Amino acid sequence: MTKRLGRFFNGWGGLVVWLALIAILSLFPFTDPKGVALLTATQVFILVTLASNWNLIGGMTGYVDFGHAVFFGIGAYVMGILATQMQGYILIAPHLGFWPALPFAGIIAALFALLIGLPTLRLKGPYFSIAMLGTFVAMREVIRILKPFTGGGEGLDLPPILNRQGDYYFMLGVMGFVVALMWWIRRSEFGHSLIAIREDEVGAEMRGINTTAHKVIAFMTAAFLTGIVGAFWAYQNTYIDPDVVFIEKRTVEMVMMSMLGGLGTVWGPPLGAATLYFLQDLVWGKFLQYHLLILGLLLILLVLFVPEGILGTLGDRSSTSLGRLFSRMQRRGDG
Amino acid sequence: MDTFLQALVSGILLGGFYAVMVLGFSVIWGVMGVINLAHGEFLMIGAYFAWAMFRTFGLDPFVSMLLVLPLMFVVGYALQRGLINRVVERPHLISLLVTFGLSISLANLYKLIYSASPRSVSVSYNGSVSLGPITLPIVKALILGVALVFMGALSLFLQRTRIGKSIRAAAQNRNAARIVGIEVGHVYAITFGICVALTAAAGAMLSMTAPVFPFMGPPFTLKAFTITALGGLGRIPGALLGGMLLGIVEIMVATFVPGVGTNLGIATSFILLVVVLIVRPQGLLQGLRPMEVSE
Repeated sequence: MTKRLGRFFNGWGGLVVWLALIAILSLFPFTDPKGVALLTATQVFILVTLASNWNLIGGMTGYVDFGHAVFFGIGAYVMGILATQMQGYILIAPHLGFWPALPFAGIIAALFALLIGLPTLRLKGPYFSIAMLGTFVAMREVIRILKPFTGGGEGLDLPPILNRQGDYYFMLGVMGFVVALMWWIRRSEFGHSLIAIREDEVGAEMRGINTTAHKVIAFMTAAFLTGIVGAFWAYQNTYIDPDVVFIEKRTVEMVMMSMLGGLGTVWGPPLGAATLYFLQDLVWGKFLQYHLLILGLLLILLVLFVPEGILGTLGDRSSTSLGRLFSRMQRRGDG
Repeated sequence: MDTFLQALVSGILLGGFYAVMVLGFSVIWGVMGVINLAHGEFLMIGAYFAWAMFRTFGLDPFVSMLLVLPLMFVVGYALQRGLINRVVERPHLISLLVTFGLSISLANLYKLIYSASPRSVSVSYNGSVSLGPITLPIVKALILGVALVFMGALSLFLQRTRIGKSIRAAAQNRNAARIVGIEVGHVYAITFGICVALTAAAGAMLSMTAPVFPFMGPPFTLKAFTITALGGLGRIPGALLGGMLLGIVEIMVATFVPGVGTNLGIATSFILLVVVLIVRPQGLLQGLRPMEVSE
């Protein structure tokens, strides 16, 4: 039964259900929601999008990225600089909103991913993970030093445009697109190559897959989309500085949400993001200072006891990467 | 010329601290293949211990350092028995995730206890002496001396004692060590305990030269990674060489590149790491275990 359900969601059924869900969610503003409901929903959409992006490189390709928030920060800062410092140079004007700056944010994030990815993604093992952690910490300092451009520690104030409904629809669209893209990648030859790299990199290379190119393209895609989200966030927040943009919390949440839902699956990150958001709202919403402490402990417990996430526990283990890894090791232990 | 000499001396002093700071990270990686992302947090714990002792009892950080050694050995032993031994034989990814979780929890636990505001310890002998054109900060020179003592002691321990030999045996081949009757879980726990104790001791010394705050850890973890990759996994001379190299490069960049200051330390070490990984991915010296790098 669960197997058939899994096949349904990985096939066209999954896309149909997803688009139906997006269609239903697009009606939400018409119910005249109260207070911050629209803003909350937009935050959840951001989390789902970020988790899905992280999952492309961390889950499907198997290269755990401990600094993915750096692309979020780059996107935010490209938007901030274009909207405040360079108004005369590039077509940025308040009446155009943030649209003209958006592609720049994504492209610069993707180029930065190329720069970092080319040397580090060629290396096996944990080097990529550590290099990304280093990039993240170093970038916060670099932004602080480039004061004339980035405002340094004082940050940048973006021209405020309050349009919660517009924000909601924008993020809903981005989220719908990103998850649908992941669904498509998972079915495409490209996605199968990524999973082959994760399962057995040498074997994939033997079969004629250009592993470095695949890894770099996956990484750049994830960076591009994360940069877009960062740019949007900067505009919505109207204020950025190194300490609100480059925070560890964002990377930790991306890792956690993917792990919770099921690493390397299409529907795991959205499920994990929604679950984690509502869990933290209900369970420890009143104790926000414990947020990261609980997340860290939860991460340890998840890795030790539920490595395959919600989807892997409900369905069959072989649908998630860690689940497969564990079954493989169990077999090796028995034999 | 004088500026250059001064920068060189400062670099060597900084390198001495880096060398003792990296020992724990390097030995854990070399012996059990675990990259301890919570390394910087153990440093932070040692620094907070020294700060608390200094504030409540007026205890000198060099004395607190001796107190923190047995305390953190017990903590490290328990952590390895309860947590790390469960994941040590699994792929890198798993132990990375576990130590990442540990690092986040520890930093935020300390933020809850001590708040995020930076603390500092200033001892009475906090000055410096002039040797011709060069000024020598006393505290940093003392730290370099202690670092050399620690390195010598750890080296002797690993080479001469029975438990040190079991540690090296377990590093070379876990299963062969089991066959000859070494209890690998126990040996790993002792290794982790020693490494955590050394790291916390380095942290206690760090409290005299740098601000102490809950999120001070990650930059040190990254530098420890760079130094270990430079100097070879689990090699004590390698830790000294790599630490000196990083310390000197960092100070030289801060001195001779205008408008940068010391803020770019992490970026410098990061660029150094990338250069080494491209040019010589197996590291400068051969370590206890080969680094698993390939095209």
